[in-house]
Amino acid sequence: MSDLSVSMSASGGLPQAPVLPEAPAKVTVRNLNFYYGEHHALKNINLTLGANRVTAFIGPSGCGKSTLLRIFNRMYDLYPGQRATGQLMLDQTNILDPKLDLNLLRARVGMVFQKPTPFPMTIYENIAFGIRLYEKISKSEMDDRVEKALRGGALWNEVKDKLNASGLSLSGGQQQRLCIARTVAVRPEVILFDEPCSALDPISTAKVEELIQELSENYTIAIVTHNMQQAARVSDKTAFMYLGELIEFDDTSKIFTSPTDRRTQDYITGRFG
Amino acid sequence: MAVQSDIIDDAGPYDRAKALGAFKLGDVTFYWITRLSAISVLLILGGIIISLIVGAYPAMREFGFSFLWTQRWAPSADPPVLGALGPMYGTLVTSFIAMLIAIPVGLGIAIFLTELCPQWLRRPIGMAIELLAGIPSIIYGMWGFFVLGPFLANSFQPFMIKIFDGVPVLGAIFAGPPSYLSTFNAALILAIMVLPFITSISVDVFKTVPPVLKEAAYGVGCTTWEVVRSVVIPYTRVGIIGGVMLALGRALGETMAVTFIIGNSFRISSSIFAPGTTISAAIASEFAESDGLHQSGLILLGLLLFVLTFFVLAAARLMLMRLDRKAGK
Repeated sequence: MSDLSVSMSASGGLPQAPVLPEAPAKVTVRNLNFYYGEHHALKNINLTLGANRVTAFIGPSGCGKSTLLRIFNRMYDLYPGQRATGQLMLDQTNILDPKLDLNLLRARVGMVFQKPTPFPMTIYENIAFGIRLYEKISKSEMDDRVEKALRGGALWNEVKDKLNASGLSLSGGQQQRLCIARTVAVRPEVILFDEPCSALDPISTAKVEELIQELSENYTIAIVTHNMQQAARVSDKTAFMYLGELIEFDDTSKIFTSPTDRRTQDYITGRFG
Repeated sequence: MAVQSDIIDDAGPYDRAKALGAFKLGDVTFYWITRLSAISVLLILGGIIISLIVGAYPAMREFGFSFLWTQRWAPSADPPVLGALGPMYGTLVTSFIAMLIAIPVGLGIAIFLTELCPQWLRRPIGMAIELLAGIPSIIYGMWGFFVLGPFLANSFQPFMIKIFDGVPVLGAIFAGPPSYLSTFNAALILAIMVLPFITSISVDVFKTVPPVLKEAAYGVGCTTWEVVRSVVIPYTRVGIIGGVMLALGRALGETMAVTFIIGNSFRISSSIFAPGTTISAAIASEFAESDGLHQSGLILLGLLLFVLTFFVLAAARLMLMRLDRKAGK
């Protein structure tokens, strides 16, 4: 069986990320449980996100990977009846602390969503908006920051002549990169990607994946994806989740070549999910 | 093979064309019915305009354009003098003040209901808003006359008059003496009357904002206020302005409640605590005992209200187009 998965990744021609040395923990998850009302959605999750590493979360729909991601920036707080227990640390900050300043947390933990979500304003304003929330800077400094962010989002060359066009006028792939640029502009420490490419064509997907790799030099990244090849391509560590449990968490190369758990193996070889 | 060709022979091309022909007749009928319905709107609108012009013609011939800037309204003088300045001013001022109060309050209620309100409080407030919209205007008029008017005249108006006494401009706007029947009283009632329009339309359009867009804004660290100001309101701008226009349309034309409480004075006063009148209030209070030139003058007032409303709505459209251009659409 393990032969099969080896041959899949080999014949698929997937570039295997080299195994990097163990990174210091940026986010630490201990005994995390999550409830949607009565429904116990995440069961006793334990893992760490290494600093400046890309951690991928894979698993069939409904396994709780997006749910886990939405705990990292407390997005679930917007909805009544959802609660988390356990311990979740961002460096020395307890993310689950009810007294935590959520706006500050979300500035430190940025998020890119499944569908591109440009704000209803110009391209320039889409970027400047987030910066203005935290910093009072001059027009010229802002211009610099916007350009830098758009370059960071690999979008500058495509939009530099139409910064005053609506963010909604861009193509889907460009919109998604605008959203990444917007997230980067706030200078977060962690960036969460919730299936960032599921609404994009292959070329845009390749661009975004490349971007994610580049971003990992400066940011800690968590990405939820349904595309296992994508997980193999972009991530250093992979977590396989199933029915609200973390089944296996290891180096990506290990998960995709010689997984320990039978369920991981079945999933990555396409036997279910 | 053989079976298949049989079927084709049975349902030969002739039969099919006939069947389609029957459909076509229905389609043509349908087309004409919908078309006539649409055209009837134009006919009704045109008919109203024409009959207003015909009715107003004697007054137009008598007073010409001076009707627009004459303040004096003396139908029983000899010769009668009729001027629309007072009612026009009153209509615009009451509507303006009403919108000044109703837009922030209405949007505030809508924002609270959709973004902040605990679930159990949503239905009671939502229903209260709908009931507010269902109250007949005569009841607002009576309430304004017997309750709100005395309250304003005895407490709010003296307070404001005292505060702004001696302040330039504002002192003239909030000048005494307090009065039960005043422009401000009417504007306040109008604000309460149009509030449900603004609120219920805003609530509906706020609900159309995709949750993921709001999450994205929260995701860069926005507070609820920033999300509402920078994402929810720009996203729903067209819908909100639509609601405001509907409300403004009602405020400009509202008759019964205003007639009760505005005092029906054709004199323009700088103070909003003084009695005034609006176009519709003037028509309602005088039409029954008018005849001849007086009646024609009132019809001309009605025509003016028509034109005024048209221009206000056109200006709103223009503003919307400007905003779109600014947003880079």
